[in-house]
Amino acid sequence: MTIGRDDILRVAQLAQLDVPARDVEALAAQIGRIVDYVAQLNEVPAGESAQPFQAGPARTPLREDVPRSVPLVRGVETFAPEFRDGLFLVPRLGAMEAE
Amino acid sequence: MSGLTHQANGVAERLRAADARGLNATLHWSEENLAAEAARVEALAGAGATLPLAGMPIALKDNIVTTDAPTTCASRILEGYRSPYDATVVRRLREAGALIAAKANLDEFAMGSSTEHSAFGRVLHPTHPDRVPGGSSGGSAALVAAGVVPAALGSETGGSVRQPASFCGIVGVKPTYGRVSRYGLVAFGSSLDCVSVFGRTVDDASRVLAVIAGQDEQDATTVDAPPMTLEAAPGSLRGIRIGLPAEYFPADLDAGVRAGVDRAAAALRALGAELVPVSLPHSAYAVPTYYVLAPAEAASNLARYDGVRYGVRRIGPAGDLPALYRATRGEGFGAEVRRRILVGTYVLSAGYYDAYYNKAQQVRNLIAADFTKAFAPGGVHFLLTPTTPTPAFRAGEKTADPVSMYLADIFVSAVSLAGLPAMSLPAGLSEGLPVGVQIIAPAFEESRMLALASALEAALGAAGEVR
Repeated sequence: MTIGRDDILRVAQLAQLDVPARDVEALAAQIGRIVDYVAQLNEVPAGESAQPFQAGPARTPLREDVPRSVPLVRGVETFAPEFRDGLFLVPRLGAMEAE
Repeated sequence: MSGLTHQANGVAERLRAADARGLNATLHWSEENLAAEAARVEALAGAGATLPLAGMPIALKDNIVTTDAPTTCASRILEGYRSPYDATVVRRLREAGALIAAKANLDEFAMGSSTEHSAFGRVLHPTHPDRVPGGSSGGSAALVAAGVVPAALGSETGGSVRQPASFCGIVGVKPTYGRVSRYGLVAFGSSLDCVSVFGRTVDDASRVLAVIAGQDEQDATTVDAPPMTLEAAPGSLRGIRIGLPAEYFPADLDAGVRAGVDRAAAALRALGAELVPVSLPHSAYAVPTYYVLAPAEAASNLARYDGVRYGVRRIGPAGDLPALYRATRGEGFGAEVRRRILVGTYVLSAGYYDAYYNKAQQVRNLIAADFTKAFAPGGVHFLLTPTTPTPAFRAGEKTADPVSMYLADIFVSAVSLAGLPAMSLPAGLSEGLPVGVQIIAPAFEESRMLALASALEAALGAAGEVR
């Protein structure tokens, strides 16, 4: 399968990732090679196993849903780029809501 | 000066020497932290605590969070980030008296097989600087192989401890998925990720794994399995059947690697084990399966790095929230991480999900079923394979072609997909470079696997095959 420039730009938009224009052609070639390589999975006869693999325990144990404090050695404000009055600060949302 | 302070000073001296020779294996360490660690362990000992790792210096891959040092995952996007809590494995190491010595360099977000994809520069192979140490846990491996620390934690998603252990000539152990808590391990591929252990010897690695293993209520995928025990090396392996899977011995296997497996097989036979041919036919599809599922999970897990809650922030030209996401992620992630996010997003997107993601999930089940069949009653107790198809390759040799780099993990990916325990053990040299053999065990059979490895280690050492 050939991956083109438009495919890269579409996937980059889905992934919320800026891709420099100068890198798009190279990325298309590299990702095309990867997708061609993984396409060999189609050689494996279909229907041999309909079940997807389950990692870990067959049943996930759930603990009681009781609110409790989480011990942190420092507040969340120390690792966020901007934080004020208990809130994470981000640019205004207007442009996104308009989309 | 107390023994622990002396120990901490010795570690600092070795870390300084490693930095001075340009190994580039560490991202963070400080004399202050080491002194604080020594004082902390001294206080524990003074209070009469049982300390199975008393004073043992241990390095941590920098995708395992700690409160006393930054955690960057070797990425610009997390530069300067400090976790407000310790990972469960770190808490357990501290409680056992270990000295947390350093945070080790890695491929960015653990994505790579050579530790050339770190935002902070590549890690050198400890004895052959023009070669790679393997990856993604290359910094941890290099620190152990260079004698800076006797043990280190890495993480495996698809062989990232066994492969560098083989390249660097040390022991690398991946536990069963669910044996060790992932709480505080920065997520890459959540159905695959395992905190794993490097050691100079099987004994070093076993002692560390026994401490960090066990169910954790902070990680619902940990399993309430019988605890790991430290078993002595058996004097005889009579009655033990070890499978040699045909698919792991291709015609183009490096001759020195093949010779290493032959040496290990001969030593096991001499100890009384029976070696039998087996087949794991779907292992041939392990690398393509892995490179669908791991990027898909990564694309989801790394969505959290958006410039709002962690690390750096870039404001895009439009100055709004979507522009902030795109600019932060576009500038913050390196080339390999961007590539994997794009592949993962592609295979999860409408129109391709069934053809790639669902198909890979089905093949993963077939790969796991092959192992179940091999280990079924009447089958084999363990499997023996090469860890890697070649010894450590040259830096820059595979960076231009991602698929060629991915194939360095051809013998380690299947085990990760099946969630089984496995380890790499040094088995001599190929043209001066270390080669390793891989031992694979049934789920939760780490104790028996490590006992077998101890017996093999002693036999190879006694024969002068391994230093």
